[in-house]
Amino acid sequence: MVSTDQKTDVKEKEADCPVVVAVTSHAVFESGGAEDPDGLYVGGIAFPLLQALQKVNERLLKENPAESLLFDVIVITTESQQQQQSSRITESIRHHGLKVSRFCFSNEEDFIENLLNNNVHLFLTTNRNEALQGSQKGVLSVLLDEHTASCPTEQLRVLFCGDAVVQSEAGPALASKQAAQSFSAQIGKMRGRFGLFDSPISIALVTSRGGRESCGDALRTLRSLGVNADEAYCLAGVPRGPIKRLLRPHFLLSECFSSN
Amino acid sequence: MNLNNGQSLNVGGQDFTKNGGNSSRAPWEDARTVLRPSTPTRKPKSPKPENAITIAVSSRVLFNMEKEQQIYEQQGMEEYIKYQVEHETEPFSPGPAFSFVKALEAVNAKLRELYPESEELFDVVLMTNNHANVGLRLINTINHHQLFIERFCMTGGNSPIGYLKAYHTNLYLSADPVKVREALAEGIAAAIMFTPEKMKEVSDTQLRVAFDGDAVLFSDESERICKAHGLDKFFEHEKAHENKPLDHGPLKGFLEVLGKLQKKFYGKGQRMDCPIRTYLVTARSAASSGTRALKTLRSWGLEIDEALFLAGAPKGPMLEKIRPHIFFDDQMFHVEGAAEMGTVACHVPYGIAQRVVKKGTKDKETPNASK
Repeated sequence: MVSTDQKTDVKEKEADCPVVVAVTSHAVFESGGAEDPDGLYVGGIAFPLLQALQKVNERLLKENPAESLLFDVIVITTESQQQQQSSRITESIRHHGLKVSRFCFSNEEDFIENLLNNNVHLFLTTNRNEALQGSQKGVLSVLLDEHTASCPTEQLRVLFCGDAVVQSEAGPALASKQAAQSFSAQIGKMRGRFGLFDSPISIALVTSRGGRESCGDALRTLRSLGVNADEAYCLAGVPRGPIKRLLRPHFLLSECFSSN
Repeated sequence: MNLNNGQSLNVGGQDFTKNGGNSSRAPWEDARTVLRPSTPTRKPKSPKPENAITIAVSSRVLFNMEKEQQIYEQQGMEEYIKYQVEHETEPFSPGPAFSFVKALEAVNAKLRELYPESEELFDVVLMTNNHANVGLRLINTINHHQLFIERFCMTGGNSPIGYLKAYHTNLYLSADPVKVREALAEGIAAAIMFTPEKMKEVSDTQLRVAFDGDAVLFSDESERICKAHGLDKFFEHEKAHENKPLDHGPLKGFLEVLGKLQKKFYGKGQRMDCPIRTYLVTARSAASSGTRALKTLRSWGLEIDEALFLAGAPKGPMLEKIRPHIFFDDQMFHVEGAAEMGTVACHVPYGIAQRVVKKGTKDKETPNASK
């Protein structure tokens, strides 16, 4: 339910505009379009993530009913087959009790345009190609990891990867570095609305290759963006897999630290 | 490398540096220290966890954070974090594990000389429940003291257990009894470290590690008999089972890895003045029950450099002579006795002795308490 009024607000009060997150229908629902007995789609990888985003919004509004720094969630289709399933998608969303503000029924040709038109701050997809396309157009695009995004948790868990090595596999993200930084600043601000304990958002930082100095630098970079991490891990070569499994992030961000 | 040079053993407000006894501030606090820039020398690469001997230490045992601890207790978490951030460029002074870590690094330096390609080295990981906001102060402090710590986990209140496993931790040292018990339950060698009133000077050329026997290196099976049936039965039992090895205890594995490293020095002709020395300090007596202990070690293929059978005498004075960097015991009575005489002593909360002790083990709330 985004009215045009909010759009002007976006220009005036940059700091408190909503954080627009677009998730592909493929990510929200089980791939292959699996259906339940009612013919509705079954929850997929990004399902817990959407629930976590919702929870953050609920808590933000609880702190301040007039809060405008909220997640604005869009479900977007990125190919024609899904595009044609519009009613089933909306039904399924409603059935699962997810609060989605908008639907964009686009296909492979025009979904990028829709992302841009809707001023999307973060684009989440399970499709590597889509993520790449998004990045190339300057939209912060994050590839959802099957193993981690789907962990159900009470908290939205965001993981910053402070090393160049751990650059998201979505490929070169030159244009989206700025998008990443402003999104990170928004997340940092949201995190700041809550205290140290019992926060619906948790921010972790991991550096994979470098030693303590590189982690220190990453912490400083985050701080300069207004992000205060809750947890920090400096691996200095320890295999990432087990650590990532323990951290259970819903998604990873690394573009803030790219050397470009 | 003289450990006592200019470093404040700053316990209970008393300053032990040459600066004089009135001020409770260490020299670097006086000078509003400009941090020493990290040395430009090439830093050695951290070994792979599966090859290294990983020692995980919490921030409160590595550094002295008493002042900050007090702020947390009296003013709460937010003030604690605020204070830490405000004092970010001020390094902490050394804590009880500091000299142990420095000794580990000294051993590493020697190992690197003899075996430049090997990754069988000590790897010290900072494993703290602290919030990442304290991270920069901890990093700055590591830099200041020129410690070789390149790996750390700041879990922001989450349990460290999973991370201990991910780092293949061989030994975990913390001031928090809850976490140590959790680690032991997961099969990770762990101990609660205490800060002695006055720390005695320790060697900077030789790492010395002292162990109690029962319920530390060995299982608590004999102690159970002692507690249930008394000392006489205990001696009888031990004599009768002299040739039956005791079951292993939580720190057997750590002694084992120390032995492995020792052999590397022996291999290069450094047996007489090996940079690692191990001690068994046990209440068993040489005349009777001690034999079973030694035979057990032998059956495990482990050596211990010195075995001290005290036949029930207090351990404090003996440890004061040995000057280990660290001492492990399962009984608080011995841990306290050792600490009173200046030894860095650690409690291994394992076995039958834990159910007997009622006093003095109430967990103090810490800023790093698990959520």
